[in-house]
Amino acid sequence: MSPDAVPEAAPGPVPGAPDAAWLRVHPASPFVRGWVALAAIAFFFFRDTFERVLAGGPLVDEQLAGRAPWLVLGGGAVLLLTVLGYVLSWYFTRYQVADGYVRLNTGFLFRQQRQARLDRVQAIDIVQPLLARIFGLAELKFEVADAGESAVRLSYLRMEEARRLRAAILASAAGLVPDPERAGEAPPEAPEHAVLTVPPRRLIGSLVLSEQSLVLVLGGAVSVALSALTENRSFYLFLIPAVLGIAAGYWNSINRGYNFTAAISPDGIRLRYGLLDTQAQTLPPGRIQALRISQPPLWRAFGWYRIQVNVAGYGAAGSDGEGSSRTTLLPVGTFPDVLTMLSLVLPDPGTPDPVATFRAGISGLAGPAAAPGLRAARIPEADDGGFVTTPRRARLLAPLGWRRNGFTATGTALLIRSGRWWRHLVVVPHQRTQSMALEQGPLARRFRVADLVLHTTAGPVTPRLVQAGLDEGRALLDAQAARARAARKRQTSEHWLAQVRTLAADPGSPAFPAPPAEPARPEAPVHPEAPIHPEAMARPETPVHPETPDRQENRPHG
Amino acid sequence: MRTEAIDPPGITWLRVSPKYVTVRVVGWAVATVLVVALLCLPLILVLGGWWKSYPLWLAVALPAAMLVLSLWRLVLIPRQVRAIGYAEREDDLLIRRGIFFQRTLVVPYGRMQYVDIGAGPVERGLGLCTLKLHTASAGTNAEIPGLPAAEGARLREQLSARGEARLAGL
Repeated sequence: MSPDAVPEAAPGPVPGAPDAAWLRVHPASPFVRGWVALAAIAFFFFRDTFERVLAGGPLVDEQLAGRAPWLVLGGGAVLLLTVLGYVLSWYFTRYQVADGYVRLNTGFLFRQQRQARLDRVQAIDIVQPLLARIFGLAELKFEVADAGESAVRLSYLRMEEARRLRAAILASAAGLVPDPERAGEAPPEAPEHAVLTVPPRRLIGSLVLSEQSLVLVLGGAVSVALSALTENRSFYLFLIPAVLGIAAGYWNSINRGYNFTAAISPDGIRLRYGLLDTQAQTLPPGRIQALRISQPPLWRAFGWYRIQVNVAGYGAAGSDGEGSSRTTLLPVGTFPDVLTMLSLVLPDPGTPDPVATFRAGISGLAGPAAAPGLRAARIPEADDGGFVTTPRRARLLAPLGWRRNGFTATGTALLIRSGRWWRHLVVVPHQRTQSMALEQGPLARRFRVADLVLHTTAGPVTPRLVQAGLDEGRALLDAQAARARAARKRQTSEHWLAQVRTLAADPGSPAFPAPPAEPARPEAPVHPEAPIHPEAMARPETPVHPETPDRQENRPHG
Repeated sequence: MRTEAIDPPGITWLRVSPKYVTVRVVGWAVATVLVVALLCLPLILVLGGWWKSYPLWLAVALPAAMLVLSLWRLVLIPRQVRAIGYAEREDDLLIRRGIFFQRTLVVPYGRMQYVDIGAGPVERGLGLCTLKLHTASAGTNAEIPGLPAAEGARLREQLSARGEARLAGL
């Protein structure tokens, strides 16, 4: 539990809180949330009747007639208690967004008050499970950095109410000062600029060629072979639960990855996806702690990549579909898509030629020219984007990967690449590094190499530079500590608009629009006036986005 | 204290108290007695004639091998304790440990979320404590065991003050 989301036991209104309205969630929400319980009760009471009617019997059993009053009474009591519980839980759940805090009071017997600082928001999600979607309701999840459950979950609100609240929270978290002349009016939602979508065909193709398909085919082949060899049919039986599980996994991936759309707005990156259950995530600027671009071997033919991120509020992505889909920045995309997403996450890549650097990180390979003696004169085929790889003396430790495993540091982030078949590129912004460690086992000492581990918040990405040369690793440890220190000094405020203002004050940077919420222009919508990352807005069209040759090179199918 | 290859150059490491060896030895003794006693169970059963199918040589070899392994670990303990070191730099704290599997950790002061001081019964008896740093990452695992209580308190205050001065967000 982070100190920003302290549950308090004391009931009653928060002292010192302003008179902003305490609101309740939608009255239907406990029923939408607890429909399973209601359905269970209904099933329990009507199963007999259903079965009888299906069997051709009368609707009301004669034997039942005597017991009917008791049954109805008992059922009614259970139903009444359940509904009463729902109504009470609804009545005692109240929330308030005011004064830089979001507050949530819950509980009837055991009351809980929780408040979280708005400027500590790590991510804000609007989730619509199928049933809620039918009723036009949505759940709002407010995440702070405690790597566990959501700090505040408001379920359920009307969709427009959820969106209004999200806009208000993000505006307040950005450091937007409410206009006195428009007091009480909600700040308008920040405009979006859609940057990419994942076509369903590509999503299905990526699933067919994914790792789990490989496991499925291999498992099937092994079972068939074993059955044929031992003439024992029972091996097919083992397949049934496996197939069911994998089918559920596929369905989950399709349900959650369907219609994936990424957009950029001044409030950060917006991701929307979902077939039956839809979800809209908003990641404010600078909330991504680490990022990994990966490519399973079968995706290489189509030039597809996947991007996963660590966000402090999301915590470790468990095996459940929700966690893993929330930490997926791009389920499947081409190289230009990857560059687009990178330009959103890392608006300033800190290198003059980001395309070449990221290409080297994703698919580059150091030339074998590092060999002493005979082949020393051989020049690497291409410039390797400045990546420093495992020294040749340690090639026995990683016979395949030694030319891949490497790192490079740009002005803003550390890039770690690895994997010859399963290609990975991990990007860690300098100011997000928590701590670092150099590790060395006896075998690595023999070859004078060491591993460098960067510690970041919990999530699917664990940045680890494997088998770096000893001198390079030590130099990197020192340099990286200095770079992280310098980057932290530049980043001073949790309010991302304030950071833009300091940038705007800097004479070296391009002219930014006037700070928002200027009293002189009350009629202008304040929010859209403040593009946070003008470079990010512009970049998809300009430098990062590669020119056509790149596209052709990386999309052999397209 | 000897500086290993992966340590940054020019660092004077502070060592933990030599009394910490005792703490480790006590822990080692408890674990060893438990494990060896458990592994001796088949031997007793075989010698008593209750378990005839179990080969005698295995019943003897298993606890013996475990005992040898444990004794080797006992021999290593003083060296392992000597290998634990920490150093306060201008902006970060360095912690190193390990002989075979070495690790040198750098924790920037501004990244510390909180500092824990704990002491087990044996440590308390010897006037030692264990200091643990927490950052936003679970992987940090920065621990300095076997600090004299006064040094632990000093380090905690020092770290808190420096963390306050260099505080950064996530």
